[in-house]
Amino acid sequence: MVPAALVVGIVLFALQLDGVAGLGRDPVFTVLAGAAFGILLQRSRFCFFCILRELFEERDARGALGILVALAVGSLGYLVVLQPWLPDPGVGRLPPDAHIGPVSWVLVAGGLSFGLGMVLSGSCISAHFYRLGEGSTLSPFALLGAVAGFMLGFLSWNSLYVGTLSTAPVVWLPAMLGYGGAATLQAGLLLALALVLLLRVRWPETADASATGAPPTPATLARRVFVERWPTWLGGFGIGLLGFLAYLRTEPLGVTAELGSRARTLAEQLGWVQGRLPGLDGFAGCATVVIDALVTPNGVFILALVAGALAAGVASGNFRPRNYPWHRYPLALLGGVLMGWGAMVALGCTVGVLLSGISAFAVSGWVFAAATTVAVWAGLAANRWRASWPWAEQARIQ
Amino acid sequence: MARDTTIGASFGGARLNELEIQAVVRVGNKNAWRRTLTFWNESIPKCCWTTLHPPFYIFLTWKGAVNAMKINSLISCARSLLLAAGLSVAGVAAASEAVVSADWLVAHLDDPNVRVVEVSVEPGKFERAHIPGAVNFRWHTELVDPVRRDIAPREQWEQLLSTAGIGPDTTVVLYGDNNNWFAAWGAWIFRYYGHADVKLLDGGRNKWEADRRPLSNRPARHAATEYRVSSTQPALRARLADVLAVVEGERQAKLLDIRSPAEFEGRIFAPPGVQELAIRAGHVPGAKNVPWGSVVRDDGTFKSTDELRALYAGIGIDGSEPVIVYCRIGERSAHSWFVLSQILGYDAVQYDGSWTEYGNSVGVPISNPAGTVWGGT
Repeated sequence: MVPAALVVGIVLFALQLDGVAGLGRDPVFTVLAGAAFGILLQRSRFCFFCILRELFEERDARGALGILVALAVGSLGYLVVLQPWLPDPGVGRLPPDAHIGPVSWVLVAGGLSFGLGMVLSGSCISAHFYRLGEGSTLSPFALLGAVAGFMLGFLSWNSLYVGTLSTAPVVWLPAMLGYGGAATLQAGLLLALALVLLLRVRWPETADASATGAPPTPATLARRVFVERWPTWLGGFGIGLLGFLAYLRTEPLGVTAELGSRARTLAEQLGWVQGRLPGLDGFAGCATVVIDALVTPNGVFILALVAGALAAGVASGNFRPRNYPWHRYPLALLGGVLMGWGAMVALGCTVGVLLSGISAFAVSGWVFAAATTVAVWAGLAANRWRASWPWAEQARIQ
Repeated sequence: MARDTTIGASFGGARLNELEIQAVVRVGNKNAWRRTLTFWNESIPKCCWTTLHPPFYIFLTWKGAVNAMKINSLISCARSLLLAAGLSVAGVAAASEAVVSADWLVAHLDDPNVRVVEVSVEPGKFERAHIPGAVNFRWHTELVDPVRRDIAPREQWEQLLSTAGIGPDTTVVLYGDNNNWFAAWGAWIFRYYGHADVKLLDGGRNKWEADRRPLSNRPARHAATEYRVSSTQPALRARLADVLAVVEGERQAKLLDIRSPAEFEGRIFAPPGVQELAIRAGHVPGAKNVPWGSVVRDDGTFKSTDELRALYAGIGIDGSEPVIVYCRIGERSAHSWFVLSQILGYDAVQYDGSWTEYGNSVGVPISNPAGTVWGGT
């Protein structure tokens, strides 16, 4: 009953944090949200890379539809929150700390780098965190690589900022179209993408217990909840809901703030990054700051994420540390570096920029999504072309 | 008690050369009519203000309800009371008038004459939860001029207050995070532009949250007013020339530096990561150092009047001379200005150019005990 103990432990830990300073606005919510996020990610295998790979290689659209559901639910929730907070979106001010970032070639480069990194390491950063909960031996390498990638990002930041980002437009759809227009446009885009997926991609036959006509027994239900993969639309729904609740209560969902901040602290201590990074604090995204505290709000969130994923992983029997072929480890490290650099210059990863950005009607979210998707498609195509790579056949990470 | 009618008047002065007279007609618990008059007169001698404290009150209470005609005659009676009072009575404003407790605010949340204003540093805090009915003022864009270095221009200020539904008689209660440091700047701007009734919430936002008092995330809707600035108080603001006059001995005043001791002594230019830098380190010659955080307790509430008096008396500030307060950019010094002038009743002014102006000015004398040289060696 390790998972049950873990969950109880998480809840108790959360309640201990009530009123503790320095852990963000609402540490109890942060911990519970982190655990819920970890459970949702693990149970529905909500990894952006795996979903895209299923889409491109297996023609299985269910995962991608789950992402679209997450974006739709998140957008709706953000709309509900944004309207009272900023009744006049054209006033020239952005909603407080929503992940709306500058749009420029730097964002595209970051997205491409991130996508390529995903292909090499096998998951996006948030998925690497939940895979830690499944005992993945690759993920620590990827995350270590990400730290290094962040440091590279900090080294390149000054020239990127002064050269491009300081004058790049921060495009927020409601500022140009109003809430109604932005919501319509975004809904239209999501619907169009959903139609493309539904019509042009084959649905695989799903062997379902209910197909036999018999009502599900408690054992079957328990298996579906705790062991089998949740339908991605359910995971997407939950994630979209969590995203908007997080924005309402504390801050938008993001997993790279802690990672990036630790990287920045380390870089400062090593003397590689000196002083201020101009403009970084002025942009909304997964903010990276120098920290000397033991834990930060995002750090607590990530810990709870891993713990929740661990609980879900153990309960579903997915906790299987195993050894991969030796060459996958340096590839994971390299992929992590690419993801880290991409996440740094894009001010977030698939969760922070794609999910939280598109939910907030930011054009930066869409641009990052497009760049990442293109990079994954290109990476997978190159992979297929180099079919002699042994790890391609063994890349079945469920 | 419920329907008793009270007519009262108080006479007090908040600072040098000022007399404040307030007359009120209360029916039950509600103010049926209230007026505050502020007289500013340079010829009123200083000695009058310090002899009488707390403010001098007159109250007459009728038990039971009175009819409308009676109330009207009471109001005209109160008006003549105001006029008749004149400038003959003086006093120092009680400390409690400038700072309100959370209990007081809870009792007055529904009072249409009270407007709660939040001025917080961190964006997103107000939107997610604020004191019910509060409006949000943003320091970086609404309380200062975002293009040229100056306080909010008059038109921008009038627009801001009109949208917030503030009238000339409204009691404005400001609060914010970080011990009310931005809120104190807001209070200074309110006083600069002549608003009569300005208060700070003791303990600010943090104490309100720590005490688990009610919060709301619904935006407040107040009927817009047409606020016009009736009088500016430029005497509340010191400029570089005023500070130089003090340094060079042409003017008698005390200088108060409320930055950290490390900055005061010139050991550092500014705390790490802060971009409010100057080309020289140290402090204005003759300034004394009382860090701004030493006027509040751990929970953010102000220390008692006696403690504050003793704190400043320890470095020679006792109200006998005017005080010029400064910090790095002038926004935390507003907090100490508030303590000195609104709570203790001393003659205090804000030097909002502060060290980022003084320390960057060419040819001004500087005291640099630590001897830190900009640029090294």
